[in-house]
Amino acid sequence: MKGLVFAKRTIKEILREPLSYIFCLGFPLLMLLLMSVLNESLPKEVGMSLFALENLAPGTVYFGLTFIMIFSAIQIAGDRATSLMVRLHASPMRAVDFIEGYTIPLFILGILQMCITYAAAVILGFILKTPLKPLAVAGSMLRILPSILLFSSLGLLIGSIFNEKAAPGLCSVLVTVTGMLGGIWMPVDTLGGKILAVSKALPFYYGVKAARTMDAKSLIISIIAALLAVFAAVLVLRKVWKKSC
Amino acid sequence: MKTNNQNKATTDKEQVNSRSKTEHDKEQASSPKAIVVTGLSKQYPGKTAVDSISFSVDKGSIFSLLGVNGAGKTTTIKMLSGLTRPTGGEAYVLSHDIYTELDEVKKLVNISPQDTSVASRLTVRENLEFIAGIYGADRKKQREKAEEMIQYFHLQEMADRRAKVLSGGWQRKLSIAMALITEPQIMFLDEPTLGLDVLARRELWEVIRRMKEKITIILTTHYMEEAESLSDQVAVMVDGQIKAMGSVEELKEQTGAGNLEEAFVRIAQEGGARS
Repeated sequence: MKGLVFAKRTIKEILREPLSYIFCLGFPLLMLLLMSVLNESLPKEVGMSLFALENLAPGTVYFGLTFIMIFSAIQIAGDRATSLMVRLHASPMRAVDFIEGYTIPLFILGILQMCITYAAAVILGFILKTPLKPLAVAGSMLRILPSILLFSSLGLLIGSIFNEKAAPGLCSVLVTVTGMLGGIWMPVDTLGGKILAVSKALPFYYGVKAARTMDAKSLIISIIAALLAVFAAVLVLRKVWKKSC
Repeated sequence: MKTNNQNKATTDKEQVNSRSKTEHDKEQASSPKAIVVTGLSKQYPGKTAVDSISFSVDKGSIFSLLGVNGAGKTTTIKMLSGLTRPTGGEAYVLSHDIYTELDEVKKLVNISPQDTSVASRLTVRENLEFIAGIYGADRKKQREKAEEMIQYFHLQEMADRRAKVLSGGWQRKLSIAMALITEPQIMFLDEPTLGLDVLARRELWEVIRRMKEKITIILTTHYMEEAESLSDQVAVMVDGQIKAMGSVEELKEQTGAGNLEEAFVRIAQEGGARS
């Protein structure tokens, strides 16, 4: 109950930040549109499938989640900078309520963002006469769920460790790494070599692959990465809760 | 499955618990003291923040803790409100032990911290409802209590504005309202008027005086005229210790000073505070 009250407050705070809409919705939709136009302009003989809608849509949805990470980091780093935490700590709230209060809203926002981006991709598919298959979309959405947990947990981790100024900067680095080395905007499989080796050392490569294909290995790795991130975030949040006064 | 004997034992235990709770409630109601502190200490590695302090606070009074920065005022408040655990001594808040009955203590007290402690993108009303909800009020009760606080603190005009657009004085009022909405019996106000202009400060003093009719208030402040105007009892802290305690008049008498500021300076300097 207390966790849900806190979650309601967190969701209101995030939704009332205009930048949330620009980055969490506007930017992924813009990328979807731009890359589709780019794909249409590419000569067929280039054989570039990275920006074909069936690859672009799950990639863009995955990329959009990195902005959830930024906003979760900003939110918790901002909260830590105020005395609101002291007030909460003096209340009958417990660590578990505090953790619920951050994780539930971020998971809901991640799902909402995924649904809106996919809805836009489906409409775009009809316009471009390359409709997405409903079953493929549903499967991809299910396989993206662990990644929502991964990014919201990463945001909470970063926001719990770093301050309001450092957290967004660090998240931006991860946004770029995800976009490039995750294989969303760069064909890492085609490039191969050291770039592919580095990509494969990161969870984002597998998350993107799981979103695009029914590759069991990628899905298992992205689930494990999400669970590890959740575990680390819970540990750090408990510490923040204890230290907040 | 419980045996008959086990059931009887449980019932007996429940009766004893219920009896002891009733006795405890009676004891609490009959005690004139809101807080009793004996030898309370807080040590951090390499530093003693609070050094074996003892005092008691009467119910329905305003007790002010005065001291220069780092004297241990905020740490004392944090220990009594359950925000940090003491490293020594005893403290009872409304007859509840702060070590063993912290959950009970947290239900009876609240704190208005010295910095901004509001959810900035929520409106005044939402902030109040949020805190009421955290303390277990259902939706209907949250609305009622928020409305009650809005009336009490004359926040009607600001009720639907976001907290971040309020002036410092209004934010501080909201912060105190957020503490009072939980119906605490004791409220800790940590430098409530810090950084406010004279008019806003005077207005907040009136609020604090009105609150005294309902609850016990523990106040920390750097403003001597504030302590002089509001306090029934004052304790002067220097380097984690209480160097003097009494009513404002008693402190003036003890030091031969003409006003509280002068009395404070003498006590603090004698106590070894740096100028």
